[in-house]
Amino acid sequence: MSDSYELVPLAHLYPGMVLADALLDAHGNVLLAEGARLSEATILSLAKHGIGAAPVRRSTPLAKPDAGALQQRLDHLFRHNDRDDHADWATGLLRRYVEDYRLHREVEP
Amino acid sequence: MNSPHLNSADILGGVDDLPSLPAVVMELLGSIDQEDIDIAVLAKKVSNDPALTAKTLRLVNSSAFGLQVKATTIQQAMTFLGFEATRNLITAAALTGCFPAGRCPGFNDKAFWRHSIATAACARALARRVRFNADYAFTAGLLHDIGRLVLVSRFPERYQAVLSLRDKNDSELIDAERALLGLDHVDAGVALAQHWHFSDTMRQAIAYHHAPEAPGAGFLATIVHVASAVVHALDLAGNPDELVPRLSSVTWTALGLTEDAWLQVFHETELQFEEMSAILMA
Repeated sequence: MSDSYELVPLAHLYPGMVLADALLDAHGNVLLAEGARLSEATILSLAKHGIGAAPVRRSTPLAKPDAGALQQRLDHLFRHNDRDDHADWATGLLRRYVEDYRLHREVEP
Repeated sequence: MNSPHLNSADILGGVDDLPSLPAVVMELLGSIDQEDIDIAVLAKKVSNDPALTAKTLRLVNSSAFGLQVKATTIQQAMTFLGFEATRNLITAAALTGCFPAGRCPGFNDKAFWRHSIATAACARALARRVRFNADYAFTAGLLHDIGRLVLVSRFPERYQAVLSLRDKNDSELIDAERALLGLDHVDAGVALAQHWHFSDTMRQAIAYHHAPEAPGAGFLATIVHVASAVVHALDLAGNPDELVPRLSSVTWTALGLTEDAWLQVFHETELQFEEMSAILMA
């Protein structure tokens, strides 16, 4: 089971929430598997089975912008810098460092 | 009819229209190079302005300064942080918010201040690593583009044309200023620095931040030049058309930082910027 979950009372369950653990009925039968996304219907069925609360994954943090979009933005910011222009090496170096920083590239010590 | 090109007399001729700083802030800015200032008297004067005091104390107590005990008075802040650091924070608190926003359509006041505050934070982070006075660096970073606000306030229509030209050519703003106005925000900043009696140190930094290799530019201009470029590169102002200007290789070499140190500077700049802009632009 994921360690980032919270036990949410039935009244506070909403469609779209994702189960952090399997839900079992009184006999140990699996009602819903871990990772199942709740719908209005499944929430109703939980109520029918007498389940009062469900472990739900915490809302996932906002997805990181993907590397491609970041690189595109960086290229836009540095659009006056030509990577092959050795006379402009200082801007080029700043560009490389900011890329390393934004894209979390490994930096040699 | 306006002449096509402005000269510094045009700027100075209109300074009476410019916002006035609280008298005590003018006194603080003018005192940067002075040794014999009565700190207690200045602290008392600042305390007479409750809004300024409150904003300053929020900055003083921000995590950037890591105080164990919160300062509750200006005098206390000066004891904890020192006179210079406190003076700079008072200045920052007074300057942000003294120019009216929204006078020139197309000019993004918020982005202007975000850039200035971030440059102040970055200049401070850089100065600490090269053992330069971090408080000077902070103030110079905050003030380096202040001439732009002068141009925007004095000549809003003409500045709108400057912004259009910049968009059309995708050039740096300073080039568009020179092409249409005959002078740029550096000239306007120097004129304002004189009018507001900034110290020589600050005036120099404003005057040379676009020409840090010029003889007599001084190291503060180097720090501000690089800090401003870094902030453009970190994309902190929130300008869709943000553009990193060409960086002077002489200044980059002069700072002599390793990549590791640069990445730390980036991180520190972002952290302090978030907190300070929340306070200063509230």
